Amino acid sequence: MIPRIALEDVWLRQAGAEVLSGLSLDVAEGEVLAVLGPSAAGKTTALRVMLGLVAPGRGAVRLRGEVVSAGGRILRPPEERNLAVVFQDLALWPHLTVQGNLAFGLAARGVGRAEREARIAAVLGRVGLAARARRRPGELSGGERQRVAIARALVLEPDAVLLDEPLTNLDVGLRGELLGLFAELLRERRATAVYVTHDPREAARLGDRIAVLERGRIVQVGTFDALRASPATAFVRAVLEELARGTGG
Amino acid sequence: MRAALRRRQEPIAFAAAGSIVLVATLLPLGVLAGELVLAGWQRGVGSLGDPAAWALLAASLRIATAVTALALLAGVPLAVLFARTDLPARRSAFVLHAFPLFLPPFLLALGWFFLLGRQGLVGSETSARLFSGVPAVVAVLALAFTPVVTSLVALALDGVDRSLEEAARVVAAPWRVTVGILLPLVAPAVALAALVVFALALTELGVPMFLRVPVYPAAVFARLGGVAYAPGEAFALVLPLVAVALAVLACERLVARRGVPTLGLAIGRPLVPLGRWRTAGALVAGLAAALAVAPIAALAARAGREGWDAVPVWVGGSVGNSLLAAGAGATIIAAVGVVLGRAIARGRPWGAALDAVAVLGFVTPAAVLGVGLIAVWNRPATRAVYGTLAIVVLGYVARYAAIGARTIAVAIAQGSPHLEEAAQAVGGSYVRRLLGIVVPVHARGVVAAWLLALVFCVRDLETTVLFYPPGRETLPVRIFTLEANGPPAVVAALALIQVVVTASILLIGVVCLGRSRRR
Repeated sequence: MIPRIALEDVWLRQAGAEVLSGLSLDVAEGEVLAVLGPSAAGKTTALRVMLGLVAPGRGAVRLRGEVVSAGGRILRPPEERNLAVVFQDLALWPHLTVQGNLAFGLAARGVGRAEREARIAAVLGRVGLAARARRRPGELSGGERQRVAIARALVLEPDAVLLDEPLTNLDVGLRGELLGLFAELLRERRATAVYVTHDPREAARLGDRIAVLERGRIVQVGTFDALRASPATAFVRAVLEELARGTGG
Repeated sequence: MRAALRRRQEPIAFAAAGSIVLVATLLPLGVLAGELVLAGWQRGVGSLGDPAAWALLAASLRIATAVTALALLAGVPLAVLFARTDLPARRSAFVLHAFPLFLPPFLLALGWFFLLGRQGLVGSETSARLFSGVPAVVAVLALAFTPVVTSLVALALDGVDRSLEEAARVVAAPWRVTVGILLPLVAPAVALAALVVFALALTELGVPMFLRVPVYPAAVFARLGGVAYAPGEAFALVLPLVAVALAVLACERLVARRGVPTLGLAIGRPLVPLGRWRTAGALVAGLAAALAVAPIAALAARAGREGWDAVPVWVGGSVGNSLLAAGAGATIIAAVGVVLGRAIARGRPWGAALDAVAVLGFVTPAAVLGVGLIAVWNRPATRAVYGTLAIVVLGYVARYAAIGARTIAVAIAQGSPHLEEAAQAVGGSYVRRLLGIVVPVHARGVVAAWLLALVFCVRDLETTVLFYPPGRETLPVRIFTLEANGPPAVVAALALIQVVVTASILLIGVVCLGRSRRR
């Protein structure tokens, strides 16, 4: 089957340093791929390359088999890739209400007013924010803002949702609760997703497969059990040991 | 005792900086109010009953509104073009477009006159007819002040959090992102730019006087130094201008409450490809740059050899006076700006109050401030100030203190307060922190504030022309007073000297700031 997203031998140099060094990975339709790696491994850059916000220096990006970036050029601009993103800082537009944040992308994609409102009401109801539709992001709690961010991505019914460490900076309790919500939402919609994180717990909980990224390239891909059975690098071993200590297993 | 003094360093420094702002700005306005009540009222109030005065005020407000509307219409799209697109040579085009902002606007009027006037380089009866009256005043001022909008909005666009823009780019085309996300986010900067342009246009004296268009500030000026000398009436006539200034200040406070526009540096931010609009974009940017260069080129052509040869006879000490007074003014403004800017950035309550006074000085029409300064300092006991360049320096500080304080406040607000707090935690006193941490860390901001203040002082005509000491006129005053009766070639040559002095200051600044960034 043609993968929903494919990076093929992607290289990228920024500010004199190699950020991505021959990165290749596939995300199958309906799969949640967790991309796990230490700081400065190139996780966020890989996401930005998929989104079309950065052109790869070398290599290609395919969406549903179509080449969308190649040879240092962006062939299909971000807004035509039918992807959605949840950034680490959530990037909720402060001048728009919750409703406005969700409506912006739908309007840009030509969805009519009635359908727009129905879809927004449905997704806000699902994340428990129906009563907050008229609020601005500044008037919401941290957890509510996270819910708006995921709702804003899902309301578009995109080909894939890309999440860039969205739960960083939250306390443990809230992180667990939201992780559960994200897992439910992605599963019930059979969404294709790429979930970037440096936390092995999040990767294990959400990812059907985990891709470990170190120094700009994938060093191991597999299910959590496969990684645990034969960790390929010291980093993989260390994070798995830390996870085992943390969960008592 | 020493410990107590250490603890009071901040209030003492703040009191010193605050006193300078209060004496320069608030005292003249206060004394003006007193003079009005005591002396000027009886004679002056009659002039306020004159419907002609109110008609003149309405005309001035109409001109300022038209200039503001035009500057916004042109400046906002240009800001997007210069700040966010892959336009070829966009930086050079922006520099050329922005340069006229740093010149006295009447110099531009002079340049356009040498170009389009009856005797102009490309002049004819038709062009002369078109370049006259209110439309010409509005056009010249709009060209002079559009860069205020372009610069403030472009800086604010650069300061928008990158992820806010990228989150929108993932779902929408660049034009929709610009209209739906970027422009609403920079709305405070647009509003601030509109207020600054309105204040500058309303206070403008040189351009309307040069083009023989009667405006309200000129009526005040005429009663102070012209044929209609009547200081009591001048006191009364400034009353409506004070009301307008207070209204502008109130609007500015409302904008400020929505957050000071953050100014950023577009390092590594991907630009929007113009694609098939590239040629159209280049044409628009080229036109913006050409409109800035045209009057300066006309000045150069008009000056010719004849003008340059006569310059030594006519220039007198005006260049020296300009640089001396502006240098002193900018240094005081930057020093006050460090103390005041830090207080604003750190949210000190008195910082906001003094910021309001400084902004009032900037938005108050120069004629009002000038009349106030005359009322305070034109006394036998203060001849040492009023009879020397000191009064010019004082005028500069009164008018432009806000530029220094705001520039430094923005620089400090962008840095982490932890740097200073760490120094405080290890026992650094206020003065030690200010001089050892705040100033060195934000040196670029301080230098930028000094340069900006210097350029604004060098370009000032409106404030200085009311009270420059005899024989100590600055270069813009010299050109302005010569313009009516002096040889046109000499006037053009002197205007070019003003252009060269300003360009040199900006060039030195760009080189210095560029070097400090590389370090």
